[in-house]
Parts: sequence; structure tokens; C-alpha cells
Amino acid sequence: MLSYILRRVVATLPVMAIVALFVFSLLYIAPGDPAVVIAGDQASPEDVERIRQSLGLDRPFLVQFGSWVWRILHGDLGTSIFTNLPVSAMIGQRLGPTLSLMIVTLLLTIVVAVPLGVVAAWKAGSLIDRVIMGFAVFGFSLPVFVVGYMLAYIFALELEWLPVQGYTPLNQGFWPWLENLILPAIALGCVYIALVARITRAAMLEVLQQDYIRTAKAKGLGQGGILFIHALKNAAVPIVTVIGIGIALLIGGAVVTESVFAIPGLGRLTIDAILRRDYPVIQGIVLLFSFVYVLVNLMIDVIYTLVDPRIRY
Amino acid sequence: MDRRTVLKGLAGAGGLALTGLSAPAIAQGASARTLRFVPQANLANFDPIWGTQYVVRNAAALVWDTLYGIDAQLQPQRQMIESEETSDDGKTWTFRLRPGLKFHDGEPVLAKDAVASLSRWAARDPMGLMIIAIQQELTAVDDRTFKWVLKQPFPKMLYALAKNNAPCSFIMPERIAKTDPFKQITEYVGSGPMKFAKSEWVPGAKSVFEKFTDYVPRQEKASWLAGGKQILVDRVEWIVMPDPATAAAALQNGEVDWWENPIADLVPVLKKNKNISVDIGDPLGNIGSFRMNHLFAPFNDVRARRAVLMALSQEDYMRAIVGDDNALWKPLPGFFTPDTPVYNEMGGEILKGKRDFDAAKKLLAESGYSGQPVTCLVAQDQPITKAQGDVTADLLKRLGMNVDFVATDWGTVGSRRAAKTPPGQGGWNMFHSWHAGADCITPAAYTAIRANGDKAWFGWPNSPNTEKEIAGWFDAKSVEEEKAAIGRVNKAAIEDVVYAPTGFFLTYTAWRKNVSGIAKGPLPFFWGVSKSA
Repeated sequence: MLSYILRRVVATLPVMAIVALFVFSLLYIAPGDPAVVIAGDQASPEDVERIRQSLGLDRPFLVQFGSWVWRILHGDLGTSIFTNLPVSAMIGQRLGPTLSLMIVTLLLTIVVAVPLGVVAAWKAGSLIDRVIMGFAVFGFSLPVFVVGYMLAYIFALELEWLPVQGYTPLNQGFWPWLENLILPAIALGCVYIALVARITRAAMLEVLQQDYIRTAKAKGLGQGGILFIHALKNAAVPIVTVIGIGIALLIGGAVVTESVFAIPGLGRLTIDAILRRDYPVIQGIVLLFSFVYVLVNLMIDVIYTLVDPRIRY
Repeated sequence: MDRRTVLKGLAGAGGLALTGLSAPAIAQGASARTLRFVPQANLANFDPIWGTQYVVRNAAALVWDTLYGIDAQLQPQRQMIESEETSDDGKTWTFRLRPGLKFHDGEPVLAKDAVASLSRWAARDPMGLMIIAIQQELTAVDDRTFKWVLKQPFPKMLYALAKNNAPCSFIMPERIAKTDPFKQITEYVGSGPMKFAKSEWVPGAKSVFEKFTDYVPRQEKASWLAGGKQILVDRVEWIVMPDPATAAAALQNGEVDWWENPIADLVPVLKKNKNISVDIGDPLGNIGSFRMNHLFAPFNDVRARRAVLMALSQEDYMRAIVGDDNALWKPLPGFFTPDTPVYNEMGGEILKGKRDFDAAKKLLAESGYSGQPVTCLVAQDQPITKAQGDVTADLLKRLGMNVDFVATDWGTVGSRRAAKTPPGQGGWNMFHSWHAGADCITPAAYTAIRANGDKAWFGWPNSPNTEKEIAGWFDAKSVEEEKAAIGRVNKAAIEDVVYAPTGFFLTYTAWRKNVSGIAKGPLPFFWGVSKSA
């Protein structure tokens, strides 16, 4: 297993290099120029050209790409064109809020979606099942920003229970940290909960029809034991898969959620960087996200072996 | 005790158990000494000479002081300067700094700092470049005195040093000001009334300014960028809110204290809230515009440009931008900011009265327009340009023009508009923008009105008459002479259609009622602003 994990980690390097080249090329050929944004609306073309030169944006593609790769190989993600701050520091500043949002959303999803899926499967065809699946369809259909605005209106403006915006680091207290994340996590989690609940239900339904479940019932095992010990463990592979894939959804959804709730996370940094054509920041974030995807896939594969001993690498 | 307090208590107890960390006790008084402000845009960089966005200028005005400051009467007033002298021939200016000026690092402000700062500023500012063009020398005489020797008089010197349009002539320590004006500074040390807390800066999210306790304000009453800049809070936090609905909710909820620029759609909601004040933020407002490319057909022919002016309805543009609030806009038969001392509408008849589509179509046909596509660049991510673009597309279609509507983002428009290639080869025929009214009072800072061909702003208008009258304004020695010159500039610029003004519009600003002292002006002024608990 250890050699497998090592092989996978090593295999991420060419993947990330290809992604980096692709992104760098895409940005290079895309219209837009950071020098224009920096120079401001009233600047002359000469001013813009001087800024382009000072940033090295007038150099050929291969020179720019080569210089970037060289820096990456030395552990340097470069410096933001706009803020003049190291990209790694900017990403570091924004990692905490995004990770916090993703963790709370993931926990919320697992705590809510898996039991809902299990109950829906257990009561398949009943009113409870239809209500749960109805909510799942509803949650799946609503855009994140609509849910976000609704939650902010009800729980922040009307009831005044929770704040509308912002992020407080965990080291300033658990509640200040959590209260800023509750509404965003619910908004972001809606789609995710719906997805996981539906997959859980489908996986459970298949397992509940197996002979060993009938045997467990026949020998008088309790409902909880059958569902959560025998059935759920055997239905876990597709559930783990969809939770893993869902992390990709979370990163995408975080972009919108962070804007709606003014959370200073990586999603907002990505959008700002793209709109400003802040190439080093975009490249740094893409590299990070690529690495996260590869790691998540690796973690899913490892978890497979834990939930299903038949799987070996 | 309300529900939120209970929840906080419960979770706080749980949190303590889990993390061992406690939330800092923020006393009510501390909260009252921190002003939380939502700026118009993100403070993405912090060099007010290198980057000239309005938001950078606004933040810089807290950290860096200027030698002179423009006041609410649009007059330059001494700020860091104690006295100035002009030689009889008007060619030598000698300036003396106020005593006791200090930078945030504790070092005194010296004449050499002013010399280095002015040199860097002048390399990037249109008026500064005019001064450099006639400069003989700029040198420090002693620690508090420096002189600027010119080859010919420059009557607008004090205005150039006081003006509020970016880049302002902010004074930095010499070691920082010696940075190439096209490279970004990395130290943010000024002598202004607040210090920039770099360690708390999260670009794109938050910027923090702390009161500079060694700042010695002038004794006069504060007026815009002039007078005694008294800071009445300990901290000012700029919180970037990319979503206007979130900013509105945060203001209603008391999570922020002041929102610089609420969008028109949300103003009615804010006005209904008894805890919020809403008022016009900047009385100098903005001038909407679209620029036509003078290099290529059809707009290389003045008749085609005039045809568009004859047909365009400024009301359509303004309603698209500000909605139904009539207090927020007015027609503008010219290029200069209304209600300012030298405002003039001379020659503006073509923009007044009933729109004449028949005459416009006839004039367009005379220009030789034969249905070729007109490439219209529109930045969809800027509500003001998006609204104007939609109106223009409709206008051109009604004139019988074939519109190639390029809906894209500001980054793309910003770079494509610099292309001098034909529209079919990556160039363009028109794009939309707007100009701060504060920049359009006179030609001093008004890049968009310049019509010197290749050196002009995008669209590259070439109108020798307009340029001649602009030069006349620079030579004017009294308000009367200036007003007459502005009238002639307006007339010439309209005759040659340097660009198309789409109207004058204002925007609101909104704040919690426990905040007082907010002054109307071209930028948010934090001096004199206080907050009660």
C-alpha cells in the first residue's frame, strides 16, 4: 500500500506539469492585459507598455513559461503582479477560510445526507422516502446564490441569529469561527447533501436486497444494526466516491459562496485574479487545486481498501 | 437575552472545550473606535503613483499627505506647505515645508523627500509631465525648503500639486520615492493621518488603517483634501464586498458602518431602514461616455460621429444607469462637470431638444456609411458600461447601423481598446466608459477631452481646435478667462465630437446613523468622521 501511495504521489508531478502548461498557454492566448488594469482608465498606451515591460509581460511565451517553471522547481510560486506579495503568502492567507468552509460543509453533508439516504432506502416507496427525495431534488435545483440570499435574509436580517458576511479565524474562538460558516455551509451544502443522499439511497437499496441482509433480519438483528453495520458498510464504496468527487463541486461552489458571504477564501481570490489577469496567482491556485484533486482521488482509493477488504492495489 | 446570545454562549462553551482558545472580549468602546467601511472596489495594490485606480488614491489619501490639498471650493490650499514664493518672472517656485512633519517610521519629512516624491509623481501624471517638459531643475535648498525652476511660467502649479485626481502628488520618504515610477513600491510609509497595517492586509478582502498619533493636523477646518485632518477613530477597516446584496445586508445588520457606493437598485431598501442614512456621496458625480474610434470608418468621418450625437438620448443612457430616480441624473450638453465655477455649455445645442433620427440618418448616409459592421466593445462585468452598451446597441440599430456587439469583460475591453488595428483585425469602433466629475472640471486632469491624435486617449481624436482652446485654458489667469476658455473647448470638442457624453449622473453613499461627520466629496474623507457605540 505504501509503495502504491508513493507511486501515486510521484505520478501527480507530470499531471500537474501538464495542467500548468495548459493553464499557462490558455492565459497567454486569452485576451486581456494586466498592465492595462494596473495603469488605470486614464493611462496612455505608452504608460501601459512601460508597465508591461517592467513586469516582463513583453517577453516571448517560452521565456515566460521557462522562467515560471524554473521558479516552481525552486519552490517559488512567484509574486502577484498587482499586490507585489508572494503568491504562496496570498494563497496561505486564503486557504484557512476555504478549508474551513469545505470542512464544515463536508461534515454537515455527511451528518445530514447519509442518514437521510439510509432512511429513504429503508422506507423506499413510502411518504418519508418521497419527502426526502423531494427535498433532494429541491436542493439540487436551487443555485447556491439563491439559497445564500434566502438564508442571509431569514437568519441574519430577520432573525438576527447569524452574521451576513465575513470570516473569523479559529484561533479567535470556536463560535466566532463557526457562526460565520453556518449559513455559507448550508448554502453550499444543499446541492451536495442532495447528491449524497440520492447516491446513498440508491446504494443502500441495492445492498438491502442482498441475501445476507435477509439473513440478518431473520436472525433478529435490530434495525439500526442492519442498516448502519451491515448495509451501510457494504454500500460505502459509491458513497465515498461521490463524497470525494463532491469535493470538486465544493471548490466550484465555494467561488460563488465566498462572494455571496464575503468570505476571503481561495474562490474569491481566483475570481479576482482572473478578472485582473494576475497570471502568477492564477497559476499558483490552479497548481494547488490540481494537487488537491489528485490527493482526494488518492484518499478515496485508500478508503476503498478500508471499507472493502476485497480491494487490493 | 436573545437567541443569538444563547447560541453564542453554548457554542462558546463547546468551543472552549474543543480548542482551548477563547474569543477576544471586544469591549463596546473598542467597537466604537473602529470604523468598518465598504469601499467601491478592492484595494489590490497600494502604490498610488504606480497604479492609478480611484480606490488606491482613496486609501492613499489616508496614509500619504500632499503639499497642497484641493478644498470644497475647488481651490488649492496649503497642506504640508508652510509658505511658497514665486519669482517675478513666474519661473521659479520656492516652497517651505511646515515644521514638525513626521513620517510613520518616526523620521522627519525633509525637502529631499518632497523632491524625490514630486519627481516620481511627475513622471506619471499628465500635469506633472507638462511641468517636466518645461523644468530646469527641482532641488532641495535646505531641510525644509526646495525650489522648482522652470523655463517658462506654469500658472496652474498649485492646482497640479493639490488636485485630487489620480495620481496625486503624495509625499513619501526619499528612499521609497526613488523607486522607478513604473515599478511598485513595497513600503507604505507616509506622513498622513493614518498608518497602513500591512500585516493585516488581505488583498481582495480587507485593508486596515490605524490612527497615526504623531500626526499634527493643520488648524483650519477640514475641507476635502485640505485643512485639519482630525482622525476621531482608532482604526478604519476596509472590508471588500464583491456582492452588493451582501454589502446592503451587512450595513442593515450593523456588521459594517459605511458603504461607499450602494448600487441604485438597493438604495430604496436602505432608505427604508431607520438606522441608515443615505445621501449623494460625490456632488461632482460622473460623466457617462462612449468613445468612437477616429482612425477607422465610419467614425473617421465627423458626419458619422455627429449623426450619433444628433440621435442619442441622454435620458435613455441615464435611466439605464440610475433607474427611475430623477435626483440622480441630469442632461449634459457638453463635456464639463455641471455646477462648478467654470462650467459652460457653449456649442452644446446638438445634444439638446428632441432627437432627430431622420436628420441623423441623412447625415450618416452622407458620411458614406454603407452597412459595414460597427464593432462595439462592452464590458459586461461593469454595470455602468453594460447599461450604456445596451442603449448604444439599440441606438445604432435604429440608425440603421450593423452592430457587432462584443460583450466581454473589463480586462479584455481594457486591452483591446488600445489596439490601433482595423476593427475586423482585432480593433474596434466604439467602447463605453465614464469619468469622475472631479476630473472633468477643467482640462487639467481631463485625459478624455484631449484631442491630440496619436497622443490622445483611446479613439485617438484629432481636433486642432480643441487642443488650441485647451492650451488657452492653461494660459488663463482669471476665473472669467478660464470660463470663456472652457466654453470654447466645449464648442470645439462638440463640433469635432471628441467623444459622446451620455449624461451626468450621481451616486449615493450610505452609513449607519451612529456614524457622523461624513462629508460629500469626490472621495471618502475619514477625517472628522466619528462613531458612537
